[in-house]
Amino acid sequence: MMEDLGIREAMATITGQALLHALGVIIVASLVMLVIQKLFPRVAEKLGGKPRLYLLASVPLLRLVIILATIVVVVPILVKPSFENMVAIFGALALALGFAFKDYANSLIAGIVTLYEMPYRPGDWIEVEGQYGEVRAINTRAAEIVTPDDTVVIIPHNKLWNSLIANDNDGTDNLMCVTDFYLEANHDISQVRELLREVAFTSPRTKTWQPVRVIVFNKPWGMHYRLKAYPYDPKEQFQFISELTARGAEELARQGVRFVSVPVTAG
Amino acid sequence: MKDKTRGNQGDPCLPGGLIPAEQWTLPEASVRRSLKDAVRHALTQLKAVSRAEEPFESMDELPELSAGQQRRLAPEPDYARQAEAIACNLQHARSEGALSRKVTCLVAPPFSGLQQALGWLSQPGQSVLNDDGAVWTVITPPETLLFSEQEAKAWWDKQDVSRPWVIPELADFWLRCLSGLALVRELFRRIASDAVGPGIVGCSSWCWRYWEHYLEGTHMSPWTPAPLDSERLGQWLTYLASGHDRAPVIARMADDGLYVLPVAEADSTGKNKRQKKRKRSSFLRDLAGESRGNPGVALAIWQRSLRARPEEDASPDEDDEKAGRQGRSVDCWVVPLKRLSLPTIPQSKTSVMGFVLHGLLLHNGLDVASLEVVTGVPAYKLSLVLSRLERAEIVRCDQVDERWHLTPIGYPTVRRHLQSWGFPVDPF
Repeated sequence: MMEDLGIREAMATITGQALLHALGVIIVASLVMLVIQKLFPRVAEKLGGKPRLYLLASVPLLRLVIILATIVVVVPILVKPSFENMVAIFGALALALGFAFKDYANSLIAGIVTLYEMPYRPGDWIEVEGQYGEVRAINTRAAEIVTPDDTVVIIPHNKLWNSLIANDNDGTDNLMCVTDFYLEANHDISQVRELLREVAFTSPRTKTWQPVRVIVFNKPWGMHYRLKAYPYDPKEQFQFISELTARGAEELARQGVRFVSVPVTAG
Repeated sequence: MKDKTRGNQGDPCLPGGLIPAEQWTLPEASVRRSLKDAVRHALTQLKAVSRAEEPFESMDELPELSAGQQRRLAPEPDYARQAEAIACNLQHARSEGALSRKVTCLVAPPFSGLQQALGWLSQPGQSVLNDDGAVWTVITPPETLLFSEQEAKAWWDKQDVSRPWVIPELADFWLRCLSGLALVRELFRRIASDAVGPGIVGCSSWCWRYWEHYLEGTHMSPWTPAPLDSERLGQWLTYLASGHDRAPVIARMADDGLYVLPVAEADSTGKNKRQKKRKRSSFLRDLAGESRGNPGVALAIWQRSLRARPEEDASPDEDDEKAGRQGRSVDCWVVPLKRLSLPTIPQSKTSVMGFVLHGLLLHNGLDVASLEVVTGVPAYKLSLVLSRLERAEIVRCDQVDERWHLTPIGYPTVRRHLQSWGFPVDPF
């Protein structure tokens, strides 16, 4: 089999010195990647807004560049870069990946597609199969997200092929928050809409240049209001929703508008 | 009184005159300076360079200006004259048909001096009259700003806005809380429905930005003082130091001796051809860029950058008087911007600092109780943050009304930080 593919001929030129040389290049590249993966997120944490997002997004791209550069440097060190040798090596590699590491290769390829299509980037707030959190890192095989409860969830990139991925801010620092209010019927709807709009406008966390909207639905049990606004920082979303809920509830109570309550059945 | 028939585009106390706000453009700074600023800002955020560690070549060999010298070389503007210039500009714009509304909104960034100038319009003895020859009535804010809709209507009913009126600073009429919006909302309702007489509403650009978004769909077409680019800035600083009757100030860079003042245009009128060939520094261009064309901020940085000639420092007051009497030119030295130690924002992991700074800018300064209302931050936390900011020379407390304000010299870094943190910022 090896002879058929011409692997033996291709490998015949590999010497101990060449192996050491290649190993040295790989170690240096790995160290550079490690430094980038550790340092950039730390620096990004200290920056706010767009610089933070740009810096985080550059990590996987830089890693891809380093990996490609390493391959380009290492392969000619080990084998003579002739057409036959290249076909032999990459053919064998494709066979090995296709049979032995199918899922792993699938994730690797999806990881490269992720960098190109960018369905999510570090700093994005995404939901995949019910897991919501901020993308902390995009590794070679999987992405790491941190949930609001500080749990790290590893999401293999191959989820990209067949899962729905919801991205709340899509590479920007604009993340819409929706605050729900479930109110009993029989009140002045326009007054409540105006009041909720003001609740958002008077929050110090609101990005006032983005739209603030109040949507209302008529439900069998009463009225469902949805207050939509943007916090100044996506990381503030939970504080923002909490604040809007608390202040909105307080003011609605002052206006005599009551919340619906659902009876709880014990057992 | 000034000749009101001509526009005051050339009035040195208001260089460039008033322009529609949408025509405002940011003065250009040199590319080198812009890059340096960007790097410095990023490093500041990373705490890579703290104020204490910052490489700073001392300028101790050049003594700072005495109070008397500062009053003469970089004095505060004459707001009464500025008020006259504003009134003349408005009248000129109206006569040309550029202004058609009864109420004119004048928007300017903080420290531009607009509020102080508009406050002078109604001062006794002022020669500034409105189109009908009557004196302006200044509308002052009420003690408390928390009003219901009905109370706000009743309050405005009591104000005499049928005769020409002026609000020097709209930011003093509201608080960013549910019951703090009614007064301004009612005012805009009356303006939009033409229920008031001729008037001028002065407004901080931060406050205006907020209300522009709040009252979406309302177009007030505000006007603003033209930004001070390097040329206007040079004319204005020369005017402040020299007035009309004294010889122009000569200011040179402390590091390379290049000329900052007088500006090229004024200098070319001189008889001496050698003066025309003077090599000029890019300091004014960088100062215009650093201050974003804001006169108050530019003046604060200018005051900090001036140094006296050592031989003059021996008896400064005596020398000042002598110079004033003789009307001769006075030399001073200018420290380059890169060697000036300007305030930096203390590092903080919480959002409180951003809330405080943004709240102060929206409301043109606040006392601690009002700051607590608009930020939702408890008073004890506010005190800690405010004292940190005060030590960093970013804010100061007015001892008379106990209101906290930003300092003009700290404003550029505050604006830059608020923008990078994602807060809504003004367009100027």
